[in-house]
Amino acid sequence: MTKTTLLGTAALVLLGLAGGASAADPIRIGVVTPLSGTYAPIGQQVRWGLELATKEVNAAGGIMGRQIELLFEDEEANPAVATQKAEKLFQVNKVDFLTGTVNSGSTLAVGQLAERNGRLIATTVSFSDAITTDKCSPNVFRVNARAGQQSAALAEWLAKDKPKAKVYYLGPDYEMGRSTVAAFKAAAEKTGAQSTGEVFAPLGSKDYSQYFGQLRAARPSVLYTSTAGNDTVRLLTQMSEYGLLRNLTIVGASGTVTAQNIGAIGKAADGFVTGVGYSAELDTPENKAFVAAFRKAYDTAPDLYGADSYGLIGFFKAAVEKAGGTDTDPLRKAMEGLSWNTPQGTKTMRAGDHQAVQDMYAVRIAADGGSNRFDVVGTVPGDAAIGPDQCTRF
Amino acid sequence: MHEATTLRTLSDPGRAGPASRLSRLAPVHWLALAFLAVALGFAAVAWATGNGFYLRLATEALIFAGLAMSVDLLLGYTGLLSLGQALYFGLGAYVSALVLRDVSPSFWLAMGAALLSGVLAGLIGGVIANRVKGVYFALITFGLAQVAAKSVYNTHALGASDGLIGIPQIQVGFGPFSLDTADPLSFFLLVLALTVAAYAGLAYLMDAPFGRTLAAIRANERRVPFLGFNAWRYKLAVYVLAACVAALAGALYPMLRGFVSPELMFFETSGNAVITVIVGGVGTLVGPVVGSLLLTALRSVVGSWTEHHLIVVGVIFMLSVIFLRKGLVGALLARLSRRNGQGRSTP
Repeated sequence: MTKTTLLGTAALVLLGLAGGASAADPIRIGVVTPLSGTYAPIGQQVRWGLELATKEVNAAGGIMGRQIELLFEDEEANPAVATQKAEKLFQVNKVDFLTGTVNSGSTLAVGQLAERNGRLIATTVSFSDAITTDKCSPNVFRVNARAGQQSAALAEWLAKDKPKAKVYYLGPDYEMGRSTVAAFKAAAEKTGAQSTGEVFAPLGSKDYSQYFGQLRAARPSVLYTSTAGNDTVRLLTQMSEYGLLRNLTIVGASGTVTAQNIGAIGKAADGFVTGVGYSAELDTPENKAFVAAFRKAYDTAPDLYGADSYGLIGFFKAAVEKAGGTDTDPLRKAMEGLSWNTPQGTKTMRAGDHQAVQDMYAVRIAADGGSNRFDVVGTVPGDAAIGPDQCTRF
Repeated sequence: MHEATTLRTLSDPGRAGPASRLSRLAPVHWLALAFLAVALGFAAVAWATGNGFYLRLATEALIFAGLAMSVDLLLGYTGLLSLGQALYFGLGAYVSALVLRDVSPSFWLAMGAALLSGVLAGLIGGVIANRVKGVYFALITFGLAQVAAKSVYNTHALGASDGLIGIPQIQVGFGPFSLDTADPLSFFLLVLALTVAAYAGLAYLMDAPFGRTLAAIRANERRVPFLGFNAWRYKLAVYVLAACVAALAGALYPMLRGFVSPELMFFETSGNAVITVIVGGVGTLVGPVVGSLLLTALRSVVGSWTEHHLIVVGVIFMLSVIFLRKGLVGALLARLSRRNGQGRSTP
């Protein structure tokens, strides 16, 4: 055997190896999510949801024979950090897809970066309407319900359960707080509710009793609030101390009472209703299996963020299989209009604005001191909650 | 230390002829030149290997080095600790973003507008902050930045908490030539040139009578009037100068990343700049640049390994405060001068 043939054989073998390797190469998904700081608990749920789904898909043979590999980066809930980390994942790690951003600013900035890199991203957490309305991007998909869907679902439930309710609004005095109240007010008035007044308290208020006089004078049957975190704790416990919770239904944004602050609110959270895309108490076989697997792996129940992130992997898998690969343009086309199954029910990705359409739930909190449950008290079909497509860019 | 510096500059001009001008360069400037050579070498390697990400990361580090330099002007040369320098950085970034997006995609217009906003905001902030001294100065600067950050955070027209996206990538024109900010190498070289220009200009100014007066204020502000200088005026001037440097650095940020967000004005940004200056070397101007590159690289690498990267940065900060009192560059300079056997102190 001459030297040339030897070299030639070696080259052929190498080529063969390289060819074989590319088919079995893992599909890489970058996850830019807050792993430190205030938003770390949300990032933790995102991570758990994605890891659980990935483990299940990989155990069942992966996507078209390729395993999924997740690459995590901490974005510190700061768009400036998120874009830097996302750029690293796109350009150095060559990820095929990216997800995980939590605050809306990060999602918007990383979405623009994805456009400039010719890649696709999806958010599983951000609920700012802008992401799929006036600031929509052809490279950004949202698999979770946006703020508009949440308030529409809550308004639908309110119209059915308490027709022509007299509603009072109490929000935190900052941009997001005011826009959340405005969105719900518009949705509630459309379904027949009467507004009796509104008040905005500074973020981080210690004492809410100064607003209770106005609240009582307005004689509402329903109070809507968009406070969050410790503000909700103080608001609801103070209302309870003043005996204002009697004959008053409290409803609010999905972030008002969460697993993080419900312990501190205690019994005062009992009866609180919100519109949301998921509850661990959903009574379907898919959800029961999901919750059991999640509990087994992480010793805690999934929340909205964990469930939406879990569902994303199914969405990605279905889209890659439909597109026959991870190239951006075919993948985008495959994602548009795609329907897929999640623990939350079937979701459909609307082609016009890349917003997932899903059944929404009215969830009531049952708090009896020790254990807390998020009971599903109403279901609003996806079409009723989604609202018009307001994206004009594509 | 300051007496030694003054003596040197007083005795130097007589001794050194024009031929030995280069050898007369202070060691800190040699370090700056060495740094420039390393930066150019890095650019060549990154360009040859087609590594756009690292070029853009280095560009970001240089942009934040501009912010750190402005902190060093106040802290290292005048003895004023600003905990709110991100206010001017963020202001420059927002002004530049708005100009590029809504007025005209012109580099020079954006930089000009940012500079103007830096002068105006610096004058207002300087008049307020310079009413007090010491820890109160630090608190006032912190408070001013918080007020500005919260206002932006709640202003719908400025994108509120979401910030502004859609800042276009632009062509930077120099007469017949132009370069594209979307090209990692060109934009890196542009920002490097601006950083070097800022360093040279500020180092010259700090060696001039203006800088000497600032050093006198740092040493003993109450005795400055006895020399015939109005300390308040000099403090206001250096505050405005630092605001302008920070605003110009901030103006480059949206050109690199295509967005601005209120986080750029948050305390995290101001605090990081102070850490950068202290790790790099207070009162050296080149220290903040080296510190920024080092910490940015470290955050990027360590952040990929563990979510506890803040602990790593914190430990490095504490170690450098304990063992390298003058930062990396300060320690390097001390070693250099010891080897040369000259008792030269750093400016």
